[in-house]
Amino acid sequence: MTEKPIRILYIDDEEHNLQSFKASFRKQWDITTTISVLEAEELLTKKDFNIILADQRMPIMTGVQFFEKIRDQYPNIIRILITGHTDIGAAIDAINKGEVFRFIDKPWDYVYVENAITHAFDIYKTREDLKQRNIELQKANEELDKFVYSASHDLRAPLMSVLGIVNLALMEEDLKSQNEYLELIRKSVKKLDTFIINVIDYYKNARGVAVITDINFDELITEVQATIQYLPEFGNLRITSEIDEKGVFRSDVMKLRIIFSNLINNSVKFQDPSKADPYIHIKVESTPEYARIIIQDNGMGIREIDQDKIFKMFYRAGATNSGSGIGLYIVHEAITKLEGTIDITSTYGEGSIFEIRIPSINK
Amino acid sequence: MDHLLDVILIDDSAFDLFIYEKLLQKSGLTRSVKTFNSAREALQYLIAEEERLPETLILLDLQMPDMNGFEFVDSYDNVSDRLKSKIKIYMLSSTIDSRDIERAKSSPNIIDLLSKPLDIPLLKDRLSIGL
Repeated sequence: MTEKPIRILYIDDEEHNLQSFKASFRKQWDITTTISVLEAEELLTKKDFNIILADQRMPIMTGVQFFEKIRDQYPNIIRILITGHTDIGAAIDAINKGEVFRFIDKPWDYVYVENAITHAFDIYKTREDLKQRNIELQKANEELDKFVYSASHDLRAPLMSVLGIVNLALMEEDLKSQNEYLELIRKSVKKLDTFIINVIDYYKNARGVAVITDINFDELITEVQATIQYLPEFGNLRITSEIDEKGVFRSDVMKLRIIFSNLINNSVKFQDPSKADPYIHIKVESTPEYARIIIQDNGMGIREIDQDKIFKMFYRAGATNSGSGIGLYIVHEAITKLEGTIDITSTYGEGSIFEIRIPSINK
Repeated sequence: MDHLLDVILIDDSAFDLFIYEKLLQKSGLTRSVKTFNSAREALQYLIAEEERLPETLILLDLQMPDMNGFEFVDSYDNVSDRLKSKIKIYMLSSTIDSRDIERAKSSPNIIDLLSKPLDIPLLKDRLSIGL
């Protein structure tokens, strides 16, 4: 077993039972024992147990009574009752009240106990997994809800703008200004298209199968750069890069492309028009273990209050020419999928530095 | 409708501001059109101009960064009654979300929700009842 051993709490007022149980199983499981139900309650608050075994006949309270008492507070722990007398009444009672998972007869048989505990732990794990899955599903549902809400806005808003321009153009008699309106329609359509491409990227990232290959950062950056340098907002921005590849770094090129493309695009979009020499500097350092990517610009920077929120889905920092707020969310998702990290250092008015660390996928 | 309107447009999209400013100017309904790309700035302006502000019609976008349309209305709730008496707010949005529509309709500070693109004949119609 590579995982943590099963954590068991065993309560029995007869000390020698505890001793022999411990002697038989302490090598494979993490066993805590006590002769007192009061101490058992105390132990429950201190340690996270998977399974509790309790003797039925004990002073103060019976095993079933003890289970009844702790059940609401510790519903996840699997309960097993040990009984020396074939006490049918107690057995029926315990089963009907749903207090126990199994009975173990005294004197117990090694294989039987081992089986009971292994099965109990399987159930424990299945329930935990299910709970985890439920949390994940809930999160996915919430995101989907948010996604549908914002996506419908981001899809509809540019279309309504186009319709508004068309209405305006129809009222216009001067033919020359029609061209101006067409230009506006073009921009609006472009914006819509960018959003659709982003949504597809997001989907590919979230659901697509990762293809792991050797990464050539030089090629990747050149490729991303080529797609954005003809954008009208590119201006006289200067992109420089410094790539230091020591050995083969392997990863999912699709996700890396999403990361570079969104971050560089953002730097392009949030240039500071008051600066004479706008630049983006990209630095990559890669080894067979990891890659460290730094994207630095002298753009508008990100206000401190926005810095921990910009990776949220559809969060748009105050800037008025900002997009839909999906770009950095996609970046964050992609980095998370690659098990990497991203840090921002930014001073409002001066510029931003994004630093990313991603482990190489070697398998 | 026997007098010209003073209108304030609040929308984060420079695009939509341009379109609706032009559309309103061409409609012949307006005396002045003022635009804000930030709801927060618009609110500050209203408060600062309380004395001088003429009767004003506000067309307010919903989805905006920083302060959205509903947040604007929530903050606006705290302005003086005197200022409120000069202002009529219509929400202008492309939303088709039923929760948004409900919320806009039930807000005491929003007269109505108009859908984008702004329909001038419809606006005229609403104003002849509303104002």
